[in-house]
Amino acid sequence: MGMSVGGGSGVKAEPNVTPMIDVMLVLLIIFMITIPQINAGFKAVPPEGQNLKPHPEEDGDQVLGIDDQGRYYLNKQPVRNEDLETLVKDIYGKERDDYIMYVKAHKDLQYLKVINALDLLSRSGVRVAALITEQTPGTESLVESDRIKPGGSQ
Amino acid sequence: MGMSAGGGGSSLNNEINVTPMIDVLLVLLIIFMMIIPMSRKAIDTQLPDPNPQPAQPNVNPDQIVLEILPDDKYAINKEPVEKAQLFTRLKAIYDPRPEKIIFVKGDTMTVYANVIWAMDQARGAGVKVIGVAPK
Repeated sequence: MGMSVGGGSGVKAEPNVTPMIDVMLVLLIIFMITIPQINAGFKAVPPEGQNLKPHPEEDGDQVLGIDDQGRYYLNKQPVRNEDLETLVKDIYGKERDDYIMYVKAHKDLQYLKVINALDLLSRSGVRVAALITEQTPGTESLVESDRIKPGGSQ
Repeated sequence: MGMSAGGGGSSLNNEINVTPMIDVLLVLLIIFMMIIPMSRKAIDTQLPDPNPQPAQPNVNPDQIVLEILPDDKYAINKEPVEKAQLFTRLKAIYDPRPEKIIFVKGDTMTVYANVIWAMDQARGAGVKVIGVAPK
């Protein structure tokens, strides 16, 4: 607490809020920039579920997004339907550690759209599709191995 | 707590030291940024073999196929099951069964969330491997 007692004429008891406002504004801007990036840049609300497996994000993850209009996004970049197969083949056609692809699809989509995408992935070399689902608030998975803290094991 | 009493100044200056607050806010920010990617969850599904063997007579007669039909209806091996009964039925099937494999076949007209719900119930009933049936 910086405090200076001077012998001057006026007594000023107002806190200087300017630095605080600066910090708040910077934080606000940081949040405004990060939140849309975290939300993957497309409109898809994943369905909710209870017995889900934790999949902490890693660098090499490939995410296929399907938004509420059925449009495809590969790692948050919109792709044309006809290009998707080639792009996925480029990724999974070569030697990799895993052949898992994350699929983040909108919950109200017709299942046809999703199975079409899964079909395409299976043709392009993907072996496991992890369907991204959100934990219903206040629930916990009934499967014991899901409750291990993420980060502890793969 | 720095405190200086000088005689030469002209005014009494009462400033809040915001440094600890900034520290706390930054730590909170970092914690949030760490937690958000860690909380991703998913249901793993095995995709169908892209090159199925042409002749596969009686693949596995006792495999379990869960069908998701339109209008929120479900069937296990073609036998209709009430939505409320699905979990109990699956549990009764998979508790004594050593191979925890299920095939999920969703009708193309169903809503994606219903398929996920059914997979979710299956995992809760002890299923370890979920196979997506081809179209």
